[in-house]
Amino acid sequence: MKITLTVNGKQHELDLNGNETLLEVIRDHLKLTGTKSSCDEAECGSCTVIINGRSALSCITIACDCDGFSVETIEGLSSGEELHPIQQAFLDKGAVQCGFCTPGMIMSSKALLDNNPRPSKEEIKKSLDGNLCRCACYQKIFEAVYTAADKMAK
Amino acid sequence: MAENKKDNLYLNPVGKNVPRIDGRGLVTGQTKFTYDIKLPNMLYGKMIRSPHPHALIKNIDTSKAQKLPGVKAIVTAADTENIKFGSNEFFFPHTVDQLPFESEKVRYIGDEIGAVAAVDEETAVAALKLIDVEYEILPAVFDAVEAMKPTSPSIHSHVRNNIGLILPVNFGNSERGLRESDYIREDIFYTQSAAHACMETHVCVGQWEEFSNKITLWISHQAPFKVREALAKCLKMNLNSIRVIKMASGGGFGGKLEMLPMDFAACLLSKKASGLPVKMCYTREEEFSFSRRKHNMIYKLRSGVKKDGTIMAITGEVIADGGAYCSYGPTVLAAATMRIFMVYNIKNLKISGYRVYTNTPISGAIRGFGGVQSGFSIESHMDMLADGIGMDPIEFRLKNITGPNMVTTNKMIISSNGLRECIEKVTEACDWKNKYRKQSHICRGIGIGIAADVMGSKMYKSHESAGSIIKIEEDGSVYLFTGAADTGQGSNTVLSQIAAHELGVDFNRIKCTSADTEITPFDTGSFASRVTFISGNATLLAAKDAKKQILEIVANELKLDAEILDIQAEEVINKDSGSVVMTFSKALELCYSFNYGKQIIGTGSFNPRTTPIDFRTGEGNVSGSYGFEAQVAEVEVNKETGEITVLKLWDAHDIGKAINPQSVEGQIEGSLIMGLGYTFFEDLKMRNGKVMNANFANYKVPRSINIPPMESIFVETKDPQGPYGAKGMGEAALLPTSAAIANAVFDAVGIRLKELPFTPDKIIKALKEQELNDI
Repeated sequence: MKITLTVNGKQHELDLNGNETLLEVIRDHLKLTGTKSSCDEAECGSCTVIINGRSALSCITIACDCDGFSVETIEGLSSGEELHPIQQAFLDKGAVQCGFCTPGMIMSSKALLDNNPRPSKEEIKKSLDGNLCRCACYQKIFEAVYTAADKMAK
Repeated sequence: MAENKKDNLYLNPVGKNVPRIDGRGLVTGQTKFTYDIKLPNMLYGKMIRSPHPHALIKNIDTSKAQKLPGVKAIVTAADTENIKFGSNEFFFPHTVDQLPFESEKVRYIGDEIGAVAAVDEETAVAALKLIDVEYEILPAVFDAVEAMKPTSPSIHSHVRNNIGLILPVNFGNSERGLRESDYIREDIFYTQSAAHACMETHVCVGQWEEFSNKITLWISHQAPFKVREALAKCLKMNLNSIRVIKMASGGGFGGKLEMLPMDFAACLLSKKASGLPVKMCYTREEEFSFSRRKHNMIYKLRSGVKKDGTIMAITGEVIADGGAYCSYGPTVLAAATMRIFMVYNIKNLKISGYRVYTNTPISGAIRGFGGVQSGFSIESHMDMLADGIGMDPIEFRLKNITGPNMVTTNKMIISSNGLRECIEKVTEACDWKNKYRKQSHICRGIGIGIAADVMGSKMYKSHESAGSIIKIEEDGSVYLFTGAADTGQGSNTVLSQIAAHELGVDFNRIKCTSADTEITPFDTGSFASRVTFISGNATLLAAKDAKKQILEIVANELKLDAEILDIQAEEVINKDSGSVVMTFSKALELCYSFNYGKQIIGTGSFNPRTTPIDFRTGEGNVSGSYGFEAQVAEVEVNKETGEITVLKLWDAHDIGKAINPQSVEGQIEGSLIMGLGYTFFEDLKMRNGKVMNANFANYKVPRSINIPPMESIFVETKDPQGPYGAKGMGEAALLPTSAAIANAVFDAVGIRLKELPFTPDKIIKALKEQELNDI
């Protein structure tokens, strides 16, 4: 089955069997290994990407259902040396420990800020509910997202 | 200029919030984890596991699976040397009890019999179904107390009544202490098993190089040198024939401290598949079902105090469910029974610890070792003792705690000790005076728990050493090679801060490599909160050594005494005159110049001064230094629903010196939240030896909505042995969290919770019992 997928602004023509998840396509076909998976059953949020402006779990998304869609992954955020304000805030605020959940966490944060540029701390907390961080860096993550929102609004 | 230098985050970086040295790779998703490794022609492995909790293996037939297209190798015990491995071989040789692959008997659901490698994971899974293992099913036992009965099935033939380990701790005269007490009480506490649940599951890639007979293993791990040691032993190979490369690792928490049969299998499968690399990666279900887990414990305490609050005697018994094999059992049991001496000044103590084999998955190390279970039990019990004599719990603790520069009853040598200051600061921060016993009308309460921790334990090997190498190139760029394993706690950053600070250079000059057993020096690993203290000291020594070499060249060139020179903030200075002699860059040019050609390679090795523990009594000085903390929880109880809301957690921590305050906070907050999860919902549910909640939907770990406000308070006691006075602190904040919450619940609604986790049904039950008692 042939589909067209735009990933981080780049268009890809893909020939798939039909049962591949978007996660498999991103990681195995396109070799973008920044997107992780920690459960493969929509419980941990590590595989979060942005599809057509909305956050989505790539481990339970069938790639063929995304024909013609635009997908953003962690690799699409920074340009060269310059980090996206959310990435910079995660770094500055100490919101990264082991870093395995970080790509998913940052993508969920980006989806939030894209749709709600000045969220309250409570809104940040609620919107990141689907992303697990076992190092439990949460307090610093909330601060990072809040700071990034502030910076991006200026 | 001087001001600029002072403000510069990267000059004199010790004590500053330097961003993570590996941070850019992590926030951009470019860092490669073992999970991300994909090598050409890589095979995928799966373990052959027992479906029975206890059975004899009668026959293993792999012939059908061998014929499945895509299957490249199958290994069983027949391919091995049948050499057992364990984790506390030096002090407890009898606990070395697990074979990489069992061939005679299986002891838990998941016990490893062998492994399959195929071209993809689906084929490997399909091959497992074609392997015929003939079993003779044996009666099984799943409960530790039951397993201790003489009538229970015997799991290991070398022990009686399934008691794999007994640790008796006995000092003074506890009977007399109890007789002389004004108030005695007895409590039994129950704690559950829990999972590490790292975001990156256990994963490794093994490759056997045929021509050199050498193994390379890429792995997500906390102790790569320990993996190397166990592989060498079980494969009968030299240490330098095995290269273990620790990749960026997605969490450890004690779960990635040992070689597992899967690591052994990846190497052996590769050999059998003529050197093709083999990847083994646990699914989340496998991770919950077959990895090590927390020992569930029954903690009985009977203690006596004087009316004035003096603790006269503590006695007790700990029964730890060990599961099928011993793993890190001795260290866990030691932590559960002996830690109390770091916290309380007790003359008479008698606690016996029993680690019991059951036909359940293997209990092992998990953040805090046995300190979480004992922390809950002891700190709850202490509150009850104080309450029994009508004493304020803070006053009671201040009366009985250890202090600086003392030798404990069991001969631990404590130098710096900020426990008193921790208690004072935390009670001040939370406004204890105005809250304790004053909020029960709104079902609110406040409770305290205190704890202490070691920095290394010298229980895995006879020594606890770390090595460090600092190599400085002609352009002044610096390599730091450390064997310490950063699994997310930020040790590479902290060690690089120490190196830069001591060398007197900009932090950005440092590139840190950790850990590769072929390149980096030996380090026992990331556990027992040891890395900042021990690996930090090794790095400090290496930096001093490198600096000395540079200064000798400069002194020689300028005909000065090297002793009067130092490097500070990128400049070689004359300490006597305060003048700048030359820049650091110039000094390095000089070292690598025509006349000198001197390579700068500094080395450091550090092994803390301790004394061995006598495990017949518990006497010995286990650690080079000790860390302390006091914690307060404020809660609100909903009497209708049984729900407990944690309003805030405060943690005052004697960390010696915060090398990176932000990282210290991250460790404290992470520990508090892990403690919170264990207190309220983390619980591996078992039925007949099988894990029933092997996924994140049914095994709850804390999420963003569960996070209460937290406040970390640093107490910097500047430990005389710590690098820049620093101590380890990755675990202690987890130890008293459950107790602080339990004590706060008592303050709020007057019920005593002795069984973790505190689920709403238990709260409702306790409230109902309280009502009946009041009638």
